[in-house]
Amino acid sequence: MIRGESEAFAELYQKYRARLHQYALSLIRSRMEAEDVVHDVFVGLAKQASGGRVPREPSAYLYGSVRNRCVDRRRRKPALSLDDVDLDLIVAPPGDEERIELRRLLNRALLALPAEQAEVVVLRTWHDLEFAAIAAMQGTSVNTALSRYQYGLSKLRKELGVHG
Amino acid sequence: MDDERIARLLRGYRLPEVSPDLDHRVLTEGAAIMERARLRGAVEDVGRSLLHQLGFGYLAWLIDLVTTTDAEYRVELI
Repeated sequence: MIRGESEAFAELYQKYRARLHQYALSLIRSRMEAEDVVHDVFVGLAKQASGGRVPREPSAYLYGSVRNRCVDRRRRKPALSLDDVDLDLIVAPPGDEERIELRRLLNRALLALPAEQAEVVVLRTWHDLEFAAIAAMQGTSVNTALSRYQYGLSKLRKELGVHG
Repeated sequence: MDDERIARLLRGYRLPEVSPDLDHRVLTEGAAIMERARLRGAVEDVGRSLLHQLGFGYLAWLIDLVTTTDAEYRVELI
């Protein structure tokens, strides 16, 4: 994306919008705030690009910006209890009976995971990020990121086992 | 159910929809910012070429030097 290219900006937005929105939702657990974060991140990117300062790796820049803004908002606001959270991190494909049946349970189990485990599960499962990239974002080691993923999956599996 | 099966199960879910209002806000504001930058660039180019034609090319060089060099600001308490 070079200075003044609004088409390139729109393409980048189309490519990352749904993923960054889900990532922000998983971190901040509020639909309105997640939308505000995604909005602010892309407007910030447009301002940077218009001044000729385009990030070398847009993906890393976007994920990092979303994370920083969500962490910042979370610090300023106490986390909602699970009972007060009503949002969908996942959507079942139409006609997929198994996933439709389990969606509610899995969605709730995902929201109940500790934040850092939920973050790894979301980024690895739906965003195809490598563990090294996730570890760099969380400021931890690859092994820790991997363990968080495994603990997260194990808790989801147990949750399904109990109710399934 | 093992971890591989739960991972496969999860991967089959889709991401939640983004609201059309967010799309509209981001794309409208992004396009406006880009358009302003394009206009600013075009005006700068015209000004620069005018200065060159009038024989004041060194002024354009001087302006570029000043505007692209980081300034240092300091507040002094009297």
